[in-house]
Amino acid sequence: MPRVMRTVWQALLLILGVTFVSFLLMVWFGPDQTYTLIGKNASAEQIAELRHELGYDRPFLARYADFLVDLSTLDLGASNSSGERVSRLLARSTPITLALMLPGFLLGNLLGVALGLAAAQRRGQWTDRLISGLSVVGMSISFLVIIIALQVLLSTPYGLNLFPVRGWQVSDLPSYLLYVTVPTIALLLVTLGYNTRFYRAVFVEEIGKDHIRTAQAFGTAPAVILWKHVLKNSLVPIITRVLFSIPLVVISGSLLIETYFGVPGIGKVTFEAITNGDQPVLKAVVALTAVAFVLIQLAADILYRLVDPRLA
Amino acid sequence: MTALRKNLYLHWLTWVTLGCLVTLVACDYAPQGDASSQPGEDAELTVYRHAMDGAPTSLDPAQASNIYANFIAVNLFDTLYRYKYLARPYQLEPNLAEGMPQVSADGLIYTIRIKPGVQFIDDPAFPQGKGRALRAADFVYSIKRHFDPAVRAQGAWLWQGRIVGLDEWKESGADYDRDVPGLQALDNRTVQIQLIAPFPQLPHTLAHGLSAIVPREAVEAYGPEFAVRPVGSGPFRLAEFDSTRAVLLRNERFRSEPFNLTAEGFDPARQAGLGLEKLEDRIPPLTDRIEVEFIAEDAARWNAFNAGELDFVKVPVSQFDQVLMARDPPALRPDFADRFNLAANLESGFVHTDFNMDDQRIGYHPDPDQDARNRALRCAIIKAFDWPKRNEIFYYGIGQVFPGIIPPAAPEFDPNQDRSAVTRDLDGAQGLLSSYGWYASNLPVLEYGFTSSVTERQMFEQFRSFMADIGYPAEKIRALTYATYGDYARAYLNREVMLITTGWTMDYPDAENTMQLFFGPNATPASNNANYDNEEFNRLYRASATMQPSPLRTAMYRNMNDIVIDDCATISGISRRLILLWRREHSLLPDRSFVGGYFFRFVDVRPAAGSRK
Repeated sequence: MPRVMRTVWQALLLILGVTFVSFLLMVWFGPDQTYTLIGKNASAEQIAELRHELGYDRPFLARYADFLVDLSTLDLGASNSSGERVSRLLARSTPITLALMLPGFLLGNLLGVALGLAAAQRRGQWTDRLISGLSVVGMSISFLVIIIALQVLLSTPYGLNLFPVRGWQVSDLPSYLLYVTVPTIALLLVTLGYNTRFYRAVFVEEIGKDHIRTAQAFGTAPAVILWKHVLKNSLVPIITRVLFSIPLVVISGSLLIETYFGVPGIGKVTFEAITNGDQPVLKAVVALTAVAFVLIQLAADILYRLVDPRLA
Repeated sequence: MTALRKNLYLHWLTWVTLGCLVTLVACDYAPQGDASSQPGEDAELTVYRHAMDGAPTSLDPAQASNIYANFIAVNLFDTLYRYKYLARPYQLEPNLAEGMPQVSADGLIYTIRIKPGVQFIDDPAFPQGKGRALRAADFVYSIKRHFDPAVRAQGAWLWQGRIVGLDEWKESGADYDRDVPGLQALDNRTVQIQLIAPFPQLPHTLAHGLSAIVPREAVEAYGPEFAVRPVGSGPFRLAEFDSTRAVLLRNERFRSEPFNLTAEGFDPARQAGLGLEKLEDRIPPLTDRIEVEFIAEDAARWNAFNAGELDFVKVPVSQFDQVLMARDPPALRPDFADRFNLAANLESGFVHTDFNMDDQRIGYHPDPDQDARNRALRCAIIKAFDWPKRNEIFYYGIGQVFPGIIPPAAPEFDPNQDRSAVTRDLDGAQGLLSSYGWYASNLPVLEYGFTSSVTERQMFEQFRSFMADIGYPAEKIRALTYATYGDYARAYLNREVMLITTGWTMDYPDAENTMQLFFGPNATPASNNANYDNEEFNRLYRASATMQPSPLRTAMYRNMNDIVIDDCATISGISRRLILLWRREHSLLPDRSFVGGYFFRFVDVRPAAGSRK
């Protein structure tokens, strides 16, 4: 079987597996939306009618088959809660989340790499100890505490009152910066510790390798060693971390940020779908996440070969 | 090293530039101290920013059973009736109707005239996009929708078994082109409702958002998305809606009806100083734009209010200490009183913990002796419950504890009722247990259900501590936790929970609305969560259900209340007090009760001064 065909076949199997398991979990263990939607004083007959309307009374395999057909035709249906087309819901909320999370995500990784490099280069010295210590502090503070503290500090009269506490009324670059700054700082504070620790470990391992010692023996400048040899040879784990954290950052990472900053993004949509048991929305999110992982897997394969010809 | 330094300089330069940019943006931001203009919009635009502690998922009136959806729905759509803005106790007032209904002598036929010239908003669902006149047939269609299973409507219970032919209409396939004998549009402006039996609460149900009127062509054009693309004739139209906010704009075509202080029930003794007098003769809606922010998180809601981003907030209980300097009556600290008005309203409902009477371990039992023992056990638990402590710890001590199932918001509430059902009596409880042969060894395991949250868990632990005081072993009181309210509701509606704590928000100011919670035929899955079934109670309920308000009916309600108390069917109850704050410069009287969202049309905010540039 040609390589491309094999990759596609594996991707399809992965999507089937992920969708089946998640559908199984949703149907058997997820919230039953009947009792959220039914309203007051329902009779047994009305409950049965609603369950029928929601399709809960149909056999599992039939529902799963319908799900696959809908997915293959990109017909994601309508939210059980709001009636809004799921495709419209995702098209509305996903760009908001990307705009919200991108600065924090990029800065978190770039700074993580920079601090990781600095710490690794000065391993055991006070710089390393300071960076590692602060990283542990950052990892130890609850995300929620960071968010609330930043809101009080930067957005209320008790603090600097420089930015809005919450909301997302973005129409141009200044308004974007106004609304994205505090969430970005929050995201940065919470992810930087983890990123720095991870990248430091990667760089420390790389710095200890023979080819670095050889370069040092040749008298190569430390900056060149760092940028050209250490960083470049560490790109595979960096790419892996960055790429595979994208779906997690978009879906789960944005949940608290969007909830507390009142941003109508995909994380909030997903959280509400989970708590309400809104299966059409959940199915779409799960399926799209699976597809995103598959695409990322493919992208990672390609990038690995670009940065490390030995993998080709 | 030079290369590294260069990189470091570049790095710092980037950060300094970014910092300057963000600082510039931040300096350009001025928190909104009062009504504000929006970017790119008229500076004179008046904006009122309201916070709600939950979000509606649907704006379709057919699904507006919860307080949040109802709040918005009554602003986008019209109902035949509403409650007077300022009158307390609450009084019905014609809204879309020309007057109060004409009722036949036997109380079975209600005839209601609709005001002339009412228009739906312009929308592409109409020919040429022009909103048409609202007709009586639209009301008929809107009520029918509740009986169409495909709509997933939530209001059928209000009219089920009450309107001639409506249940049969549903059973025969819910064909909208088929007439319902008891629900007729006599002409374009006259609605006639024929009841199976007198239903004195009918006009109240026509003030609920569930009865709001929708145009058929828009519902059919948008299908399920009508829930997010509402088309109505209310004082506002929807500009924006998602899970974080709804933005409503003034409906320029809303009927012109000057505000009348007297007609709205203005009471100078209680309402002077709110700036309401200046509203006289003005034409609602008085504000151009209403921004409703859905903020469930207490900290975020409070921070946003403090930062000047909101004009109104329901203060989180955790902030009561910071805001109030006195509890009875609640009074603001001076720094808050300078800037804000306060309303300390009791909710129109109550929180109670029911015993599942269908569970033979605690409820009814076929063996009369065991039945009596179970009753004694329930009564002992009620006597051991420490309401003042519950009130103090979870409601800041300002909730109102009352005995039974007629909450203070109901007109039939009796302030002089015997309070022994809510007074802790450990000796009495222990006496009951020992008299009926209950000991630590043979007490049943109590299964106490709740949704998984810190507060609910704390309430459970407090309940256990109360019971420990009468010797109920802690290991015999178990938590049944559920991830979501839907899961919890499924469990108790399927009678799987022994002790069921729920809140009930009254749909109209008539104790019938809480009495039905203990009416035998309403046992689960309907709203009688206790599955309580007392013959005398049921008889009184049936007899009072067709009676107009009267001293006799009130006496019957109170008698029913006593029966429930005497049977020890529920640990009840408390009405929470809501602390509502709003900016002094705005003229309004907010309400979370029966007036609910209707007050938006009367909100008068000071024209734009501060602004978000």
